[in-house]
Amino acid sequence: MSIRLTDISKRFGSFAALTDVDLNARPGEFLALLGPSGSGKTTLLRIIAGLEFPERGTVTFNGEDITGLSVAERRIGFVFQQYALFKHMTVAENVGFGLSVRPRRERPPRRVIRARAQELLDLVQLGDLGDRLPAQLSGGQRQRVALARALAVDPTLLLLDEPFGALDAKVRKELRHWLRGFHDRVGLTSIFVTHDQEEALEVADRVVVMSNGAIEQVGTPAEVYDQPVNAFVFDFVGESNRIPVTAADGKAIFRGVALDADTSGARGAAELFFRPHDARIGGAGEAGLEAVVTIARPREGRVRIESEIAGLADPIELDVATEHAPDPGTTIRIVPTRGRVFSVSVDAEQAA
Amino acid sequence: MTRGAASTPLGRGVLFAVALAFLAIFLVAPLAAVFAEALSKGVGAYAAAVVERDALSAIRLTLLVAAISVPLNIVFGLAASWAIAKFDFRGKSVLTTLIDLPFSVSPVVSGLIYVLLFGAQGWFGPWLKAHDIEIIFAVPGLVLATMFITFPFVARELIPLMEEQGRDDEEAALSLGASGWQTFRRVTLPNIRWGLLYGVLLCNARAMGEFGAVSVVSGHIRGKTNTMPLHVEILYNEYNFAAAFAVASLLALLALVTLTLKSILEWRYGIHGRTGH
Repeated sequence: MSIRLTDISKRFGSFAALTDVDLNARPGEFLALLGPSGSGKTTLLRIIAGLEFPERGTVTFNGEDITGLSVAERRIGFVFQQYALFKHMTVAENVGFGLSVRPRRERPPRRVIRARAQELLDLVQLGDLGDRLPAQLSGGQRQRVALARALAVDPTLLLLDEPFGALDAKVRKELRHWLRGFHDRVGLTSIFVTHDQEEALEVADRVVVMSNGAIEQVGTPAEVYDQPVNAFVFDFVGESNRIPVTAADGKAIFRGVALDADTSGARGAAELFFRPHDARIGGAGEAGLEAVVTIARPREGRVRIESEIAGLADPIELDVATEHAPDPGTTIRIVPTRGRVFSVSVDAEQAA
Repeated sequence: MTRGAASTPLGRGVLFAVALAFLAIFLVAPLAAVFAEALSKGVGAYAAAVVERDALSAIRLTLLVAAISVPLNIVFGLAASWAIAKFDFRGKSVLTTLIDLPFSVSPVVSGLIYVLLFGAQGWFGPWLKAHDIEIIFAVPGLVLATMFITFPFVARELIPLMEEQGRDDEEAALSLGASGWQTFRRVTLPNIRWGLLYGVLLCNARAMGEFGAVSVVSGHIRGKTNTMPLHVEILYNEYNFAAAFAVASLLALLALVTLTLKSILEWRYGIHGRTGH
């Protein structure tokens, strides 16, 4: 199913949760709403679900305006962050709930409901646990029961609020892969909310980066990671170093040293961003940032260097090959290989 | 745990003795006295006092008043706590405060309010008289006063419980296509059942035992508007101690049964109600 959000705005009291948000999701797409807490991502998901209603703007499913429809009328599957399983019902009863509350005329017989629940439990690989109570399941299992329950009503759209938020790191990683594979098998349009950029980049087809109730950028994981449109996105979707510079014609000038960087449009007071793996240690005569190494520790086959530039508060991080790792205390010259310069805007100052 | 007097065996012994003595003097002794006095003239006299015409009528009236006011307060308590816990609206804090009103007002004043409203000299008195409707010094007055006194019990028990449980379960049910009623019956009610039962139990105990407010609106017409607590008072004032204590012992029994059920509920409730997921 395709979804189109147009000019969505929502306030809670004096707090503007969302301001003029536009977003499209294509049929079968897996979309991530990524942002820090308070960015409006969960509110946006709840508006798509019909659990919250926008003050302005429209929501359309397959071109049909459903802005005024309630959650029950929208036929969506919603997986809650804390799963919201009904704790007095067995796992199978939980999964069958959506069918058992249908109006009498449309309600399938008990036997059919039971069979459908079993089928869905098999699908999420919990076929043997139908008679358990939710309290007897692990976090990852509850998550999959919640998913099966949401799918029982044959939704046209699957919405997940922080689906991995309540799980420990190992289970989270496993479930991430599983969910991606599951989405591809089931083929439903799915949207999930997360504050974890790694999760968004790894699972989603496209990532919607949000902050302060607005969308900063929509793009494939590669696009938002490699071509962030502004300082916020650069900073939020990956690790980054940030250095105050003056921008001029493809150069970022820091204390008289001109560094090569993509300045596209920025001029005057600006900031240079680069990721730890997009920099190297330069030779004596090269244009670079002079820094003193404070910490060097192994990390995923390379060495993560933390260094200090005199007068800057934040340490500069870079990844180097193990054999070239300098010892703490040495002075090095950092040459950003893929630097990006953004003008200093009001937003960037707030975020800093 | 803080280390102090309580951690030495002597200190513990003293605390224990003080607590036990207090219980014995203020709770067990009066309870024993009620039953001893009730049976002082033999089992025959006890039985006679309990099945006496006016006593039976008082028992019937007490049961009737409780049977009307408790269910109404269950409905009210459920509605109020549902509204307060699951929705945001203007005046929510005012409603929460109002629910506590009967706890903070003297029961006698609660009774007088109804006399003031519905009594012969009250605001609606002449109109009620013209239409031949009896409220004060009749069963409707007793029910009204009892309802006023007992309406916080169910709501007070449910509001914190429902607030703690949040709205996720209800939203999940709605997202799966359940109607409001189905959501309430199949999701909310099972989630709050122990807390609800607990509130109903306390509400009922108070409804049957209430004296002050009921005393004001009753008019003490023997065999007609006397509830059990009022009947006890009348018998006592007539120096008919054995009969007074015999009826009082029934109220004491109600208290014991209530306490036992309450303990059982607290035990179950502790396991199923308060351990949220």
